[in-house]
Amino acid sequence: MTDSTPAERGISNRVVFRCDLSEARVATRILRAFLAEQGLDETEQFNCELCLAEACNNAVQYATAAGRNAPISAEVNCHTSNVEMRVIDHTEGFTLAARAGSIDPHRENGRGLFIIQSLMDDVQYYRCDGTNILTMRKVRTRQQHRPEHDAAAATLEDARRQIESCQQTISGMARELCFRSESLAAIFRCCTELGRTSDLEGFGNRLLNDLLHLTTADWFVLRLVPVGGAQLEVFVASAPELRTEPLVLGQAPTADASSELLAARKRRDVEFDARRATATSEPLRAIGPAANGIVQPLLFNDKLVGTLAIGRREADAPFSALQAEMIRTFSEFMAVQVVNARHLEEQVHARLVAHELDIAHRIQRALLPRSLPQLAGFGLAANWESARQVGGDFYDAIPLNDHSLLLVVADVMGKGVPAAMFATIMRSLLRAMAARSHHPTRLLKRLNELLYEELSSVGMFITAQLVFVDLQRRQLVAASAGHCPVLLISGATVRTLRVTGTPLGILPNTTFRQHTATFASPAGLLLYTDGVTEALNPAGELFGHDRLAQWLTTCAQLPLSAEAVRDQLAAEMLRFRGATPLRDDQAFLVLAEHSPVPRRTLPSDEPRSEFSLVAPGLEDAAGVVATLPPVT
Amino acid sequence: MKIEHDGNNLRVSDIAELNAVNASSFRDEVRAAMPSSPATIEIDLSQTRFVDSSGLGALFALYKAASHGNDGVTLRLLNPRPSIQQLFELTQLHQLFEISRR
Repeated sequence: MTDSTPAERGISNRVVFRCDLSEARVATRILRAFLAEQGLDETEQFNCELCLAEACNNAVQYATAAGRNAPISAEVNCHTSNVEMRVIDHTEGFTLAARAGSIDPHRENGRGLFIIQSLMDDVQYYRCDGTNILTMRKVRTRQQHRPEHDAAAATLEDARRQIESCQQTISGMARELCFRSESLAAIFRCCTELGRTSDLEGFGNRLLNDLLHLTTADWFVLRLVPVGGAQLEVFVASAPELRTEPLVLGQAPTADASSELLAARKRRDVEFDARRATATSEPLRAIGPAANGIVQPLLFNDKLVGTLAIGRREADAPFSALQAEMIRTFSEFMAVQVVNARHLEEQVHARLVAHELDIAHRIQRALLPRSLPQLAGFGLAANWESARQVGGDFYDAIPLNDHSLLLVVADVMGKGVPAAMFATIMRSLLRAMAARSHHPTRLLKRLNELLYEELSSVGMFITAQLVFVDLQRRQLVAASAGHCPVLLISGATVRTLRVTGTPLGILPNTTFRQHTATFASPAGLLLYTDGVTEALNPAGELFGHDRLAQWLTTCAQLPLSAEAVRDQLAAEMLRFRGATPLRDDQAFLVLAEHSPVPRRTLPSDEPRSEFSLVAPGLEDAAGVVATLPPVT
Repeated sequence: MKIEHDGNNLRVSDIAELNAVNASSFRDEVRAAMPSSPATIEIDLSQTRFVDSSGLGALFALYKAASHGNDGVTLRLLNPRPSIQQLFELTQLHQLFEISRR
């Protein structure tokens, strides 16, 4: 039928009837016809019918005054290896004693139970308040052939009965089909929704509310094992009070485990009844004193995804075999959806990360000055190269008047959008403050005061190098907040200006030292971030400060324009790195005095014929942006 | 159900079922038809497809009624189907009734 494994789950039929002997008789006939359809032989059919009849008759004859108004349910579940029959009665119940060895033929009563216990292989009787279940199991001798209908339909009366029972069987099957198609419809409905919303919580809620409706249950608790977790956390529940604490998995199995843990450990469904629950910690007791139900583990490829507990607050009757099967089906479906949704979430997360990186790149690119200031007698050039993981390197050159400017190179220690955001804030603050104060130390102190709280709250900090340059006085004032030193070109020599200082965001109150120097002629400056000196070659060697200083000394001999220094250094970095990927952002800023003699170029350089007070390519952003990675 | 008299002998046949629904009326009808001193009561079960414990109870009641103060009365069950025969044996009633096949 609709089952993937009918042999394991069996095929069931249930008849519900009023508390009346004639109705009980009709019910047992229907169930016998159903068993005949499943291929039981004549004796098996008779014995099953007899036991069902005994159980149903008892259910009618001993019903309590209140129970007489309640329907009686008789059900058979036919597996290839055995037949299970259940009758739910509303009597005071009885104590099921062990079967007597034989029975006195003169006994007036007690034959019914004796017959059941004699003919069945296993008989269980569960007593609850006003509702009891008699479960009878019979092992089938072997797979039987279909009965000979022709021989059975000997008389007209028999034929009529057979037609009647066939009709009842068919209507039973039709009812079951309706039930199943309703559950399928519920699944499909939720499926289409899932595709639209990808909201697992809402989906779970709707699916399980459908399941409540289909199984006439009134509560559920769905717990999931979080990714990489070892506990069962409530994901959705039919009522807020059922959102109890997580249950820790992986502890040694104990007899005291709650129903949900038991189902998770045993990897199979577990029945729950609040009146019989013995575990000291049983979260399902929160449902009510008379609650009962089933806990079904959610499995995917044998891996525990979670548990579904579902049931009724007032135990009028336990779930039928069909309802239990529906709960199983919905649980399997839910498990698949949870796994799917998590997979989807991972993909979305990966997309978000990529998107965030993209945003960070854009912010960072917007940070860089669109053009560098034009200065009499000096050229400015800058290079910025971004690693895959976006950091917060940036540089700036803020003109203060026609002969002085503030050079900035900074590195926000952090990645992604937050680092880029801090870089933006710092750049804006500096630009605003530089109009009022030219002192690098005061600027750094004020920046630290303004940024300390935000930076320290997210565990980030900024290293920065500020150099105030007065071209008229040929003087510079440098201050550093834990940043790389400045390289100063004086004539043909290169000096390293090391100024100590604490990075911004480390200490709430900190002061900075400054270093004052004068320019020899021709003068130049190189400000850089640690991405330059910490670049690795394929042999795993650092580029290093010494190599940089050495390289710059070679340049100073030539001498070169700011642009040429920039281009040559960028080329040198690329040569050094080879195939090694860029680990960190690289940024550097070059200030170079125009040489009083015609400029020489390195052999690889394009010859430049013009002298100009303004370095070519600095009139617009092209000179800077040209070396940036293309915008995608 | 058919009830036939032949002198002191009583013969009941054409019984489809002996169950909780019809057992009492079966018992009462047969008891009402019993002669004052019956010699043999034959109940033909060849057409009987189903008997439950109520049916057994009715047969047992007839046996008691027949044997009450009438030693030598025979309650004979004719041609029960195999599964019903097994039921008599299971409940030891085959010791009280004479079960015969013809």
